[in-house]
Amino acid sequence: MNKHPNDHENEIKMTDDYLWNGSGTPDREVQRLESLLVEFRHVDRPLVLPAESSPTSHKPRGLLLHTPWISRLAAAAVILLALVVGLFFSRRPSTPLETGPSWNVANLEGAPQIGSKLISTTQSAAKLYVGQTLTTDSSSRASLSENDLGEIQIDPNSRVRLLQSGPNHKRLQLDVGTIHAAIWAPPGQFVVDTPSAVAVDLGCAYTLQVAPDGSGTIRTTLGWVGFHLNGRDSFIPAGAMCLTRPKIGPGTPYFEDVSQSLRDALFIFDTTEQSTDAHSKQLDTVLSQARPRDGLTLWHLLSRTSGPERAQVYARFAALVPPPPGVTRDGILALDPHMLDLYWNALDLGDISLWRFWEQSSDPKSPASPPQMILKKQLLLKRSP
Amino acid sequence: MAALFELHSSRSGSSAVNASREHGSLDDALVRAAQQGDRSAFGLLYARYSRMVHGILLSRVPHSDVDDLVQDVFLQALPRLASLREVAKFPGWLATITRNRASDFHRRSKPLDEFVEETAAAETDPPDPSSPPSSHSTAEANAALDAILSLPESYRETLILRLVEGMTGPEIAARTGLTHGSVRVNLHRGMQQLREILGRKAAPLTGGEL
Repeated sequence: MNKHPNDHENEIKMTDDYLWNGSGTPDREVQRLESLLVEFRHVDRPLVLPAESSPTSHKPRGLLLHTPWISRLAAAAVILLALVVGLFFSRRPSTPLETGPSWNVANLEGAPQIGSKLISTTQSAAKLYVGQTLTTDSSSRASLSENDLGEIQIDPNSRVRLLQSGPNHKRLQLDVGTIHAAIWAPPGQFVVDTPSAVAVDLGCAYTLQVAPDGSGTIRTTLGWVGFHLNGRDSFIPAGAMCLTRPKIGPGTPYFEDVSQSLRDALFIFDTTEQSTDAHSKQLDTVLSQARPRDGLTLWHLLSRTSGPERAQVYARFAALVPPPPGVTRDGILALDPHMLDLYWNALDLGDISLWRFWEQSSDPKSPASPPQMILKKQLLLKRSP
Repeated sequence: MAALFELHSSRSGSSAVNASREHGSLDDALVRAAQQGDRSAFGLLYARYSRMVHGILLSRVPHSDVDDLVQDVFLQALPRLASLREVAKFPGWLATITRNRASDFHRRSKPLDEFVEETAAAETDPPDPSSPPSSHSTAEANAALDAILSLPESYRETLILRLVEGMTGPEIAARTGLTHGSVRVNLHRGMQQLREILGRKAAPLTGGEL
């Protein structure tokens, strides 16, 4: 057997290649250290910028469940829902094959599970494949990451399922629990299904919570998020939040620093029938308490009211945020889509073209082919100031 | 936001070959947008650089303080970003702010040597025989981290970015502004020294467990 004089040198180089970029012959010592030290790795959390440091923004999470009557409703619904969910999951097919696109999973704490398999803290390359479910118990946390998407932290008592992981469409289902998402994929590519709404990332960080009764809460930290169900849309910019309920869909979004009375009034307004005294009374409170910043809320109320109520909302909205050129009272009262879009853009909370593009591209009847995407991009750039 | 959309779109079509160059141009564009007050762009920079900032801090300050300091670094960087003239220097600029923040932390508290000794004493206590197996791995992890922290500064920073934060050598170079050659040398020599330290520690640790 011939011995090469540079065998040792080659061996070092191969080992170095693994240390350098993970290629070449795996170095067992480096691998051991990687899996040991992963527990010190950075856990992505939302960046809290000064403008969002209002006192109300530091309230504990889980507002929905801390509201007394909601808690009672939730408790009643939990028993029924648990039975339905249990039946639903028991009828699902067994663990799918571990092939195809997958996301990286890291154990941040406790014993998260993929299907029935525990993920250990030393496991550096756990994968969640399309169709698989990741669950955390009361003392477990995990993170999901995908190079072209971003990172999603899964809090305790959560269950998520990976539905889709194509190059331009990535989709999770959050059945229950809380996720914190930091997304750098293009707007509209990452979608989370919940029992009561679909959350569409429009860039780039938010927390989404689903209670056992299927109701949900979304809080946006950076960028903005669209909440959608059966044609009912809510846009939630950084610093704002929105509640959603099964069958009803997304509620009216509001900034977290609104007064408690506006918050309470909006909650009742969203859950009572139109044209009742209670409904009108709450609307009066919302309008009287609204600040220019709450144009966010008033814009959404335009399409959630009718007749004299809509005129009332428009009057207050126009007083706080002057309508931009091209927007007329009559057009808004008739819910002219183009005028509503112009008025939204005047709030400077995000370009609504991104949302319209997502709507178009998510419609199976009009898939967005690459040429369409380029045209749309050019259109967006023309429209931007 | 439209500008960001353009950036995202151009990135989604990038090939692996051009990844490094496109990351640079994407970061440049994000920095320019953030300089003009686009907070979404700043948020994306945070998402892309927080691991690097975390790693640099972990190589200099106690683990328990790192998360808060990561936020501090970005809060310090935001108002200063407008004064950065060459956007391509953002990675090195942010790394410098991070190192300065770590130094500032020690000026207000204790010298690094004390910290290393303290963490070594606090975090490498002999494992409790009655504790579950996971605590053995934690003790091992703490011992490994302490061994890295005992290395010269440039080695420990690069090794932490590679072994803790899971970044590759090219990523470390792109994120910190160091050259590929410097990163490769730091990784190679740092790993050599780390093997020696861990080799020396292996026997006493095994004895302790028995």
